[in-house]
Amino acid sequence: MEHILIKILGAIATFILAFIVGMTYGGVVRKITARVHNRLGPPFYQNFIDALKLFSKKTAIHHGVMHFLGPAFLMVSSVVSLMFVPVLIPGGDSWYNSWFSNMIYDGDLIFLIYIMVFGSLGMALGAGQTGNPNSSIGITRGLSQMVGYEIPWVLALVSLMLMYKTTSIVDFINVQQETGTWLMFANPFAFIAGLFALMGMFHYSPFDIIGAPAELASGPVSENGGKFLFTMMSSGSVFSFVKLTLFVDIFMGGASNLVVLVIKTFTLYMIPVLYGIVSHRYRTEQAVTFFWKWPLFFGLLAVLYAVL
Amino acid sequence: MLTLILVIFLGGAILTWLGRKINPLLGDLLFLVSVILPATMFVMNIKVGDTIAQHTLLGIDLVWGLSPLAHLFSLVVVGLGVMLSIYSISYMRGKEKVGMYYFSFILSIMAMLGILVSRDWISFFIFWEIMTWSSYLMVILNGKKVQSIGIKYFVFSALGAYSMLMALVIINSQLGSFMLSDTFNNFQHLSPANQILIPVLLLVAFGVKSAVMPLHIWAPDAYSNSPMGYTAVFSGALSKMGVYGLVLVIISMTTQLPAGSLIRIIVAWLGGFTAAAATLWAITQDDGKKLLAWSSIGQLGYIVTGVAIGTPLAMLAAMFLVVVHALFKGSLFMAVGAIEKQTGTTDFKEVNGLIRKMPVTFISSLLSIIALAGIPPLAGFVSKWMLYEALIQNHNYLLVVLLFFASTAAFLYAYKFLHGYFLGQEEPEWAHVKEAPMSMTIPMLLLALTTFVLGTWPQLLFNSIDSAMQYLGYDATNGKLWTDSVLFSQWGDKVALQPVLYAIIAVFLFFAIFLYFKGRKATRYVTTKDISTSGEIPKEWENLTFKVNFMQPFERAIEPFLKRQIEKYYLGFGKGMEALFDFTRRIYTGNGQTYAIYAIVFLALLLIFRVSLFG
Amino acid sequence: MYNDKNSQKIVDIIQNYARKHSLWVLAYGTGCGAIEIAPTMTSRYDAERLGIRGAATPRQADVLLITGYLTVKTVKRVVRVYEQMQDPKYVIGFGSCTINGGMYYDSYNTINLLDRYLPVDVYINGCMPRPEAVIQGFVKLQELISQGKANGAAKYKENLEWYKANQKKIAPKWFERAPEYNW
Repeated sequence: MEHILIKILGAIATFILAFIVGMTYGGVVRKITARVHNRLGPPFYQNFIDALKLFSKKTAIHHGVMHFLGPAFLMVSSVVSLMFVPVLIPGGDSWYNSWFSNMIYDGDLIFLIYIMVFGSLGMALGAGQTGNPNSSIGITRGLSQMVGYEIPWVLALVSLMLMYKTTSIVDFINVQQETGTWLMFANPFAFIAGLFALMGMFHYSPFDIIGAPAELASGPVSENGGKFLFTMMSSGSVFSFVKLTLFVDIFMGGASNLVVLVIKTFTLYMIPVLYGIVSHRYRTEQAVTFFWKWPLFFGLLAVLYAVL
Repeated sequence: MLTLILVIFLGGAILTWLGRKINPLLGDLLFLVSVILPATMFVMNIKVGDTIAQHTLLGIDLVWGLSPLAHLFSLVVVGLGVMLSIYSISYMRGKEKVGMYYFSFILSIMAMLGILVSRDWISFFIFWEIMTWSSYLMVILNGKKVQSIGIKYFVFSALGAYSMLMALVIINSQLGSFMLSDTFNNFQHLSPANQILIPVLLLVAFGVKSAVMPLHIWAPDAYSNSPMGYTAVFSGALSKMGVYGLVLVIISMTTQLPAGSLIRIIVAWLGGFTAAAATLWAITQDDGKKLLAWSSIGQLGYIVTGVAIGTPLAMLAAMFLVVVHALFKGSLFMAVGAIEKQTGTTDFKEVNGLIRKMPVTFISSLLSIIALAGIPPLAGFVSKWMLYEALIQNHNYLLVVLLFFASTAAFLYAYKFLHGYFLGQEEPEWAHVKEAPMSMTIPMLLLALTTFVLGTWPQLLFNSIDSAMQYLGYDATNGKLWTDSVLFSQWGDKVALQPVLYAIIAVFLFFAIFLYFKGRKATRYVTTKDISTSGEIPKEWENLTFKVNFMQPFERAIEPFLKRQIEKYYLGFGKGMEALFDFTRRIYTGNGQTYAIYAIVFLALLLIFRVSLFG
Repeated sequence: MYNDKNSQKIVDIIQNYARKHSLWVLAYGTGCGAIEIAPTMTSRYDAERLGIRGAATPRQADVLLITGYLTVKTVKRVVRVYEQMQDPKYVIGFGSCTINGGMYYDSYNTINLLDRYLPVDVYINGCMPRPEAVIQGFVKLQELISQGKANGAAKYKENLEWYKANQKKIAPKWFERAPEYNW
């Protein structure tokens, strides 16, 4: 019983960490975008204010049960996948290390890939029931794009799985600990392919076809305000933390303490963000087929490199 | 006992048909009795054993028994058969040719059980043909497009039947026995040419039924044209007979061959291509029946790949997917049937917004779709995980990417299905629609809930699969690949399914309470017309539905792939054959003199043949 | 929530702080005023530093910004949009046209005073008001929010019949068949 209680407390601590880091990153990105535009920009804690406002906003209407459950599904996907990603290197020496060993031994990469798409489906259901055509268009775009970036992403992961004969994330971290080489150098092609996929996953320009402001009226979230939007926003923040941490775990040797984690994830995060600020938006079919050209090539190269 | 069960089926089929002529209610009752009674007898009384019944027909021994492998498949057949028979009563009410439907339904259940209990090729072939014919009657039952669809199904079934017949003839001429066990045990003694020829011929025969890529042309039309109550059996159980045959051929025959691994890798890639291509085609469909038909072909592709790879983990995955696919696809086809029954159409573009009118159908469809997409914690995930692990460990890395692509693309049609029927705008046109009767919703909900249970406690099924695999010559997998509800792979990776379920339920409940139970009272329902439409108030007749060209951007992206239809090659082949036959027709001149010459030439050829062959 | 600063509870103070610094604006770009929104939001005047940003749909928005004259045809839509917004919500009337009709004061099909149809919290005077003025208007709204005085929505609910009667006067058929409000 005590054991389970500690687990739950650790899970809550992880969630709070992911929430805070994700939200802060969101604010910092807004600040950076503003600086690139030669603006002052909002304060870095702006996202927390927005979240608090959305939380305190009233909601008087709903479009049915799935409208409520869609955001809940989304949150399930984010939080459960957070539980399976090692935030810090397991068995590290920082005093808070044991807080973050949630369920990392209970699942592996393939499981994670599937639980991560759970949210998209839940979100799709919630958006579908509102009946807004813009929402449905956004959803079909998002799902289409997911098919696009999944190919280089899986190719990159498969090449690493082949090289180290494991599909467990903890094992990938351990391999990097033992050899002292980050996997982004051990198999650079996989890293490149994965990076392309990461850019697709973050939906910044040129892949921001889902929300597509001024085109789809914010797409799937267009009928959601107040607590719905708050849940979606928090889920998005947690989820971006999950994606970054997963990427750091696999390619960049994990993190032994929180400072290293923040440095690594932030550096990684800047790649899609900075590229996104200065680029235009693709059309949907371009955004899909983009991943079937150079990223696919690098993915195949990664597998070839792993085999040889 | 076994004979009695099959006779009850057969007699029940005829009695139901006759009873239906006298009184519809009597027919319904007889139908239920003649499916459920022998099915129960089968489950209760028939235990796994080599020879349970033996008959002699025209000097040929017909041996019936039940192997552990067949036992696994018989669970699918019996389970689906009983569920669908309850469902069919309501589904077929008020339709035409109900007697014929009942007759064919019972007959095909009997034929499938017959195939599974056959221990010799003769009864196997007889039951195979009964199955084909009864399903053919179903395909043309509604009398629509008999020309194109019926003939397509018929031609491909005939192709399968002939190649099977040819294989049987070769087997008997070489080994002198029709027994299945003799074929497998003495396979080494065949000549090398026959060792290749027999598996290939049988693969064609079973590939037709399990709709492997170049032989799948008949399936989408045949699935969507037969009554939905039967399509669930068609896709869930009947196509699994092809898989059963494939398992026999691939595991029991090709493993004994030096060239067997080549055959298996070809079949595995065919399965992979089937999965990917069928998924892309499913995305482009606008009719729920067609979409599910293509999706069935795709899922069968996964199964075929798993069987062809043949490592213990892949086999476990394939066998698990056989059962799970029957469950969720059965449930989905039933849902489509219920929608067809209540609204009169299955076209996505016509019907929408049924979620509030048919909630039970929606919930069972949702669970089944999640299982189909392979998302934890439902059972689809278990088989997907095992299949990918098996493929990666077997170094089929490109195949695994192909399958990953297929299963990711499957989300598109999964969402299209749910959105098409249940979500989107609620239109006044469908305001009158009510939930389907209990006898239709309960079977589909039961099947969907079973996938939920199997997703966390797969060991309930693994035990049966394990004994089936031990029968095929595998080691016991319990403790190596799974323990209780934890899945392992040889590399030591694992997924513990119970913690996953608990975590998901905990988080879901927390946020569902946070959003729903607090928000539900404070908010009120507004119609789907009440959305942000730039301040416009849509009129009653204004249609805001987004259904036409639902996946258009994606279809544009995959346009180059969709251009290559196999059907076109078949049509070209058909044209060529027509020309050939046209030439052959010229032989028949109608002149007696010419025929006399033909006869003489033929006799001369025969003589030469005889002399040169036998001296 | 809608009360004086003296009687505000601590929850209200926190919530009002968040509301004040996070104003999501649904800019209803009627008339010529919409041209001033772009410089207000972009690099030159950068309204985002005050937490002001655009919202795509009324469900997400806090502030309805009406940027110019409203014809009878547009006022119908504006009222509909306002009713779809969720509490708490504010209205900013932008330019002389929303105050007295501006240069269109004697037109046959524009309304002269927006406050007769929607509860306006802040008016921004001018024809056109420059971005500085727009930002000052937002700052004024922020002050009102933190003091708990930006209670236009409450006013609308209290005097609903009066507002509806005014609305029906200009477009009877439309407002007869308009759906119920969404708050």
